[in-house]
Amino acid sequence: MTSLSNTLGPLPLAAAPSWPARLAAPLRRAGHWAAGLLLPLALFALWQYAVRHQWLAEQILPPPALVWQSLGELWYSGELRDHLAISLARVGWSVLLGGGAGLVLGAALGLSRTARAYLLPSFELVAQFPVVGWVPLLIVFLGIDEALKVAAISLAVLVPVTVNTHRGIVGIPRPLLDVGRVYRFTVPQTLWRVVLPAAAPSLFNGLRQGVMQAWLTLVFVELLASSEGIGYLMVWGRQLLQLDLVVVAMLTIGAVGLALDLALRWAESRLASWRRGAF
Amino acid sequence: MTTSHSARRDYRGLVPPALLLLAWFAAGRLGWTNPTLIPPPEQVLAVAWHYLGSGELFRALAASLARDLGGFALGALAGIGLGVLLGVSRWAERLLGPTFHTLKQISLFAWIPLLSIWLGYNDGSRVVFIAVSAFYPVALATFEGVRGVTRAQFEVARVHGFTARQRLTRLILPAAAPQILTGLNLGLVYAWLATIGAEFLLPAYGDIGLGDTVIRGRAAFNVALVIFGMLAIGGVGVALNRVFHRLERRLLRWRGDPR
Amino acid sequence: MIRRLIYLWLAVLAGAAIAAEAPPPQPAPPQPAAPKVVRIGVASPAVGNPPLYTTGSLGLARYKGWIDEELKGSGTRAQWFFFKGAGPAVNEALTNKQLDLVFQGDLPAIMARAAGLKTRLVLPVAIRSNVYLLVPPDSPIRGIADLKGKRVSIFRGTNAHLPVNRILAAHGLSERDLRAINFDNASAQAALTTRDIDAAFLGVESLKLVEQGVARIAYSTQGGPAVLTRQSGLLASDDFAARHPDTVRRVVRGVVRAAYWASDDAHRAEVFKVWSLMGYPLSSFETDYRDQSVKARVSPLFDPFLIGRYQDAVTGAQQFRLARGKVDVAAWIDRRFVDAALKELKLEHYWTPLDAQGRPLTTRSASAR
Repeated sequence: MTSLSNTLGPLPLAAAPSWPARLAAPLRRAGHWAAGLLLPLALFALWQYAVRHQWLAEQILPPPALVWQSLGELWYSGELRDHLAISLARVGWSVLLGGGAGLVLGAALGLSRTARAYLLPSFELVAQFPVVGWVPLLIVFLGIDEALKVAAISLAVLVPVTVNTHRGIVGIPRPLLDVGRVYRFTVPQTLWRVVLPAAAPSLFNGLRQGVMQAWLTLVFVELLASSEGIGYLMVWGRQLLQLDLVVVAMLTIGAVGLALDLALRWAESRLASWRRGAF
Repeated sequence: MTTSHSARRDYRGLVPPALLLLAWFAAGRLGWTNPTLIPPPEQVLAVAWHYLGSGELFRALAASLARDLGGFALGALAGIGLGVLLGVSRWAERLLGPTFHTLKQISLFAWIPLLSIWLGYNDGSRVVFIAVSAFYPVALATFEGVRGVTRAQFEVARVHGFTARQRLTRLILPAAAPQILTGLNLGLVYAWLATIGAEFLLPAYGDIGLGDTVIRGRAAFNVALVIFGMLAIGGVGVALNRVFHRLERRLLRWRGDPR
Repeated sequence: MIRRLIYLWLAVLAGAAIAAEAPPPQPAPPQPAAPKVVRIGVASPAVGNPPLYTTGSLGLARYKGWIDEELKGSGTRAQWFFFKGAGPAVNEALTNKQLDLVFQGDLPAIMARAAGLKTRLVLPVAIRSNVYLLVPPDSPIRGIADLKGKRVSIFRGTNAHLPVNRILAAHGLSERDLRAINFDNASAQAALTTRDIDAAFLGVESLKLVEQGVARIAYSTQGGPAVLTRQSGLLASDDFAARHPDTVRRVVRGVVRAAYWASDDAHRAEVFKVWSLMGYPLSSFETDYRDQSVKARVSPLFDPFLIGRYQDAVTGAQQFRLARGKVDVAAWIDRRFVDAALKELKLEHYWTPLDAQGRPLTTRSASAR
């Protein structure tokens, strides 16, 4: 943000010296917020306009007021929270399972030359398969219950976590490992005090990608075969021709995605400070 | 992807797939598994032979690829457009950026119900969905690439008296090319994922495509067909990546990139 | 910069104000000319390419070419669309103005009407369709009462949804007592085969699983109260019916002709044969129509039974929160087309009207059965 004044040349604020300088920064920030809100507001106005002029039939373009009302109803009846809790539990288990497996696999690939020689080519090949392509086969073997959802989502988490763990460990500079040898660290000590801090940003990157992939795959699986969860709410709204439910589910999915992203970013900044402390 | 360029090929990488194949064969022969649930490899081969021979595979492949690449082209163009705009104009970034970054968080497949209702059960809604899926990674990478163009480079352009258009084609796009290509690659991966996803979730009557083939296989409980379809889908994913990397190398070499 | 921002804000606010104030547009005036095509949507999948659809009186009329025959000379061609997603998918296409006439069950039609879709119910097509509970052959499930806590597939939002709820209620259960899974018919059949589910509520089209030996009928509505069966009808979009009543009349007449032909007991074997062309075994229909004439199931009459069923479905839709608005069934039905067809074909007294419970209304026609 400090480079702003350079790139924009003479700022109008600077041209108005009568304003107290300490007000300038908050005002500018408010201005940025206001600018960012313009487009959503314009879209909202367009939505309202389209509803009034019936660009699309009312049944497939629900009025904003109706969406708002449904959101309230679904929230207070607890239905939305139930669906969300189920979806989040699926994501949680999958991140745990797929992330754990990815961590192990990635560490094996990163630490052992033999593991790399045997496993890496297969892994790289399979990693290029789109996750949704696996789902029909998984349905054949696992049925359509929780096992399917957790397996499919775990698979989506496994790939980025493995790739990033592997990359993070391979990327550790040799001198750092040599230091460990000099100190005669045991294997757990090396892992904990050298490998983990050094590979942490990459590991975290993997986790972040994994969580985002999990959220993506969750919605797919729930749309395809489910009887509960936030994705199913969309299927349900569609079957009833109550599109406001679909929009509510979309907004919820977006909000959760945003919350996950913010939480991961916050965790990343915390991690960075922990890392500085560890060295 | 790190394909081995080393002179000596390491054959140890072939061991896991070989073991898997062997176990699969043995399972069928020794009757460890239920053959309807896990059909023996030769049955999958027979299905493959039938689909290759009758041309059904190529028709399905062509239909899926046409959707994929059509949607990808649309989404990539729009993505580069928006990325450049956000990258060069602070105003555009302030106006559009927050909305873009928020909408990006809506999980891709959540768009499917609305899109299919608005645009109908046809290829139109599938292609638009594929375009949306390619759009985000391309726009994001382009934005970051363009943002990375330094002030000094802009100064040079000004000294040379570049027009706006020259600035775009001679400075911004070449300078941001590596990131844009990374974004395009990611976009291509997402577009293929979306193609298959859309074929699963938006089955239209009489439509063909690899995803539709797999869905039919599952409905008829033809596991061999499901396995074959899945391998074909994965194979296309791998092939798309390969072709893209070849093009990328050529393009970057043409740009005079040292790598 | 601040000034530019303020201008932008003003522009957006002005836009929002205009959006809120502008009056909605007027509807277009009617066009009397005969349409080039009449787009008919069917809430059921077809098979093969070109699509083959032969079941019910509508499928029979299509297969025998009677609808095309009726349309001949009017310059209108019938174009058919089939939907694996059944009623809900038809509703979407109807909303997008991609269909003129649709054949679908009572509940989806009511949901659409309640959501504000402008349609008219012009012809009862398939009435008293049975609901079957299918289970794997060796399943311990013997009846509805055994379903408690089991994984059961119900295709929600179709005309089976409410009858299933009524069947469960008649046995002291509700959907909450089972682990209900929402599957379309094809998925439910696959899941039953793989035993991913313990049971599935399905229709006659799924009885092939019984023939194949992968399922057994644990319960059916055959011989039970008629109020537990499913009803389906032909609907016209309001717009189309108002602009092109002649086209609607012609299509309705074609279907009534098929219903009449199928009602003749002499044609029973051939009717089943035509229906089975879509890959259904003959035995499915023999099972489904055991001790029952085809005539009793293809009646095109808007009798107290049918009206009562639709009214009951409206009540059920609201009770189970499947529809928002209220639907006035009497005002929704447009009998002109079927009345005209029955009169022209001299069939006014051919079918027996039923009372609300499904019993024949007059003794004269009761003995005819």
